[in-house]
Amino acid sequence: MLSMKNISMVYRTDLVETHALREFSLEVREGDYVSVTGPSGSGKTTFLNIAGLLEQFTSGIYELDGRDVSQLSDGERSKVRNEKIGFIFQGFNLIPDLNLFDNVDVPLRYRGFSAAERKRRIERGLDMVGLASRMKHLPSQLSGGQQQRVAIARALAGEPRFLLADEPTGNLDSQMALSVMELISDINRFGTTIIMVTHDPALAGLAQRNVHIRDGRVSDIGADTQIVAAARG
Amino acid sequence: MFNYYLKLGWLSIRRNPLLSALMIAAIAVGIGACMTTITVNYVMSGNPIPHKSDQLFYVQLDNWDPNVSSEEPLEPPDQVTYTDAMALMRAGTAYRQVASNRSGLVLEPHGEGELPFTVDTRNTFADFFPMFDLPFQFGSGWDRAADAGLERVVVLSREINERVFGGEDSVGRSVRLNGMDFRVVGVIDDWLPVPKFYDVTNGAFNEPEEIFIPFNVAVEYQLPRNGNTNCWKPSEGSGHEAFLASECVWIQFWAELRNAQEEQDYLAFLNAYTGQQKALGRFPRPLNNRLDDVMEWMEREEVVEDDAQVMLGLSLLFLVVCLLNTIGLLLAKFLGKSGDIGLRRALGATRATLFIQHMIEAGLIGLGGGVLGLGLAWLGLRGIEALFGEFVKNLVGMDWVMVLTAVCLAICSALLAGLYPTWRACRVAPAGQLKTQ
Amino acid sequence: MELGPIWRAMMRNKTGAVLIALQIAVTMAIMVNAISIMQERARVMARPSGVDEHNIFHILSVGFAEDFNERVTIEEDLDALRSLPGVVDAIQTNSVPLSGGGWSMGLQTEPGAEVDGTGVAVYFVDEHGLDAFGLNLLSGENFSATDVGLRDRTSTEWPGKTLVTRATAETLFPDDPMGALGKTVYINDDEPITITGIIEQMQAPWNGWDGVERVMLVPQHTLFGATRYLIRTQAGRRDELMPQVETLLAERNKGRIVRSMQTMDETRERSYLADGSMIKMLAFVIALLTLITALGIVGLASFSVNRRTKQIGTRRALGAPRGAILRYFMTENLMISLVGVLLGGALAVGLNMWMVEAFSLTRINAWLLPTAMLTLCLVGQLAVFGPARKAASVPPAVATRTV
Repeated sequence: MLSMKNISMVYRTDLVETHALREFSLEVREGDYVSVTGPSGSGKTTFLNIAGLLEQFTSGIYELDGRDVSQLSDGERSKVRNEKIGFIFQGFNLIPDLNLFDNVDVPLRYRGFSAAERKRRIERGLDMVGLASRMKHLPSQLSGGQQQRVAIARALAGEPRFLLADEPTGNLDSQMALSVMELISDINRFGTTIIMVTHDPALAGLAQRNVHIRDGRVSDIGADTQIVAAARG
Repeated sequence: MFNYYLKLGWLSIRRNPLLSALMIAAIAVGIGACMTTITVNYVMSGNPIPHKSDQLFYVQLDNWDPNVSSEEPLEPPDQVTYTDAMALMRAGTAYRQVASNRSGLVLEPHGEGELPFTVDTRNTFADFFPMFDLPFQFGSGWDRAADAGLERVVVLSREINERVFGGEDSVGRSVRLNGMDFRVVGVIDDWLPVPKFYDVTNGAFNEPEEIFIPFNVAVEYQLPRNGNTNCWKPSEGSGHEAFLASECVWIQFWAELRNAQEEQDYLAFLNAYTGQQKALGRFPRPLNNRLDDVMEWMEREEVVEDDAQVMLGLSLLFLVVCLLNTIGLLLAKFLGKSGDIGLRRALGATRATLFIQHMIEAGLIGLGGGVLGLGLAWLGLRGIEALFGEFVKNLVGMDWVMVLTAVCLAICSALLAGLYPTWRACRVAPAGQLKTQ
Repeated sequence: MELGPIWRAMMRNKTGAVLIALQIAVTMAIMVNAISIMQERARVMARPSGVDEHNIFHILSVGFAEDFNERVTIEEDLDALRSLPGVVDAIQTNSVPLSGGGWSMGLQTEPGAEVDGTGVAVYFVDEHGLDAFGLNLLSGENFSATDVGLRDRTSTEWPGKTLVTRATAETLFPDDPMGALGKTVYINDDEPITITGIIEQMQAPWNGWDGVERVMLVPQHTLFGATRYLIRTQAGRRDELMPQVETLLAERNKGRIVRSMQTMDETRERSYLADGSMIKMLAFVIALLTLITALGIVGLASFSVNRRTKQIGTRRALGAPRGAILRYFMTENLMISLVGVLLGGALAVGLNMWMVEAFSLTRINAWLLPTAMLTLCLVGQLAVFGPARKAASVPPAVATRTV
């Protein structure tokens, strides 16, 4: 379903050239649960931005559902993000001035659904994450875990092709983290493809498959766990 | 601590010069507009003779038409008749009193080939000069004996004296007016009451007359009259005598009454006089005499132009807009440095200290706006001068009271505008802004 | 368009919106009233005086010499002036329209002291008066040379004939103004005077007087010591003839001073100096005000956009095209502007009602309100366009940043 071949990302300034991704390739099939790991500075965030069509890459080919999305215009990329990708951010990224209903509503508005259709999807989404009763509440009235669940509902409301999660439990305590990861696993069991970017090996272990990035390239996870073990002494 | 806050405020202002400049400019423009109109209004409504304004009284007698009042609503006319003016002068009841009116004569200089020219003239009595405290460069006014004796004496203004006598002490020399010789008894120094309160019926902001001659002489030789003449019924008969005896009003009458008792007594005297005249068939209207002091008289005559007041009102509203602007900009600024504030709170600053610090910063901005606003106000006044020309020459100077007002207004406005943004800024939780989101 | 969410979000963070709305409201109140005043002044200034303004000038002659024979001087002066090439006609008169100073008398339709008179401005002229002023006689006939009498400073007698303006006739005989021709009215309570002609239009000297259109012409030469000559020239020859006339009069008789030569155009300008200046000042204030409000909107909108950078990035990530972000901020601003102009409309009307009371200004024209509302909304949209475009260019990658 998603195919990245030899993606490279080079940031150029007057002084220096940074290769954030080098010849990165990834294949994701429908229903997969993939974790993408790597230490800080490895290029995880760059991968995330490129996979989510948030940034243009320098070279390589990215195909989504058989369509080459490398050379799309800004407007076309927005459309693809809206219809095919569901984002889950580390900081939840809920709009603080909107209630839960309006928050989940945001991507649906850009889709052009009728009011009735949007209402149906929002109610279904919030119901699924167990927050339907708090539809009119503001994000500030919710715990971190609840906020992330709303974000998940928002991500799923448009029936995307895959969920793209960025450190989904980074801002949560262990208990909330657990419940959110359970939710994500449930979603995958129901057939949604999931790509999760994380630095936490334990989290990565929950996925079916792991891709490890180091210095912009795919590498073996082994080298990094040794370093971690050495640090633990 | 105050100095510390000043320093902090100054640094904060410097850190974001564009934003600070915008804030100062917003206040300056509002202050500039306000001070321009405030100055004009202030001068227009100023007291032209503050040390005496409550001792000088303008007399109004209601000798008008029984069927309709002279002024709306039911006010007596704004000048008096010859009959009444002379009767009041003869009675001499007040400490000092003077009847006067405006005229225009032709002055023929003595020099060969010098062309005659017209001079703005005031016909008046001896008391005029001490009553209104005219300053003298040479000589003095004439005395009551000169009035009675119909002496042809004249007091010159400084400008006329310079034009005719080259600025020398011309007391004793003669001046030819409308074909008659007048002896100079005094030359007045620069004198410019603003407004020209002693005769507002003929232009409240004009300059004083150029020469002064005795009223009785002007009447005796039937010298011309300038100024307003209003009659509610025709003179009985024709000719000069009939006009003098008529009910036409054309004379301004002032009395100097030194205290409340004298004022009461004089009003009683006026009412008694009116009563006598009623018995003779005059004054058909009900008793309606007025004795207004200088400020009351000018208010009655609405000397401060409506236009000036309208502009003042609009300027104040303009300032409100500028203040709203400033509130917005201050809000943006203070909320923008919530990191700094959070840090200070973490390090021990209380809400109160932060409040004071930011109010002082607002005050500094107000000070800057005030100083710049003064400059803008000066420009504004020059603009008004350009628009209106010579007529407002005497209305567009700023004295130290206005300057102080400008700065105070600016600082107070800025502090007012700063209240809400400062309050919002102080609510920042300690270190809450320090974590990355 | 997501009107509901935009409104709800704005309501939860009201401060910036309230400030802008208030600014717009007060600006509108000031603007509407200022424009109303400007319109009224312009209307007043545009009123014609009824005379041939561009070709008329006047000059003062003040006699002073012992042997100054005013009557002869006037006759000879007028003869000389009228025979100057380029002069259409000339008269001696006491005043001109819009000069600020002159005579007025009361006219009444019935004799008697108890009867209320109508105030009418008086111009003393002779049989050349109509041509010298350039007036249009609607009915009746001009004075003849034999109608013209003399008047010295203390006379109280009035001649038997007068020419009045149509406005005077309308006030005296409201049911049949043109029928005033030939009727007798009373001056000085009981002196009869007959209306022998009706003039189309002429203004009194006082431009702020409510009777400014009521004028009567009286056939008398005045011997007041000082007099005014009014000269009307052929088209375009006024400036050339002015110095000629001044010299002519000065030389002819050294027993008098000639001064204060002024064109009718200058007289009008001086008369309306305050009104004209008021218009200019108000225009300046309006322009400045609009600029300040616009800059205020730019400032606050920029701040508001900066504060929501993360949100904008998130929306973009969720699929909003750039245009949607632009439209979001433009719409938000439009909502604020609408609240502002509605409030402003109420303020404007309130302010106007107070000013009508306090300063006898005129009420605002009904269409002025919607026009001002539209204009301010437009100004707001223009002002917010810049910050809105900057908002639209926030990159979607902002959503994944963690700083």
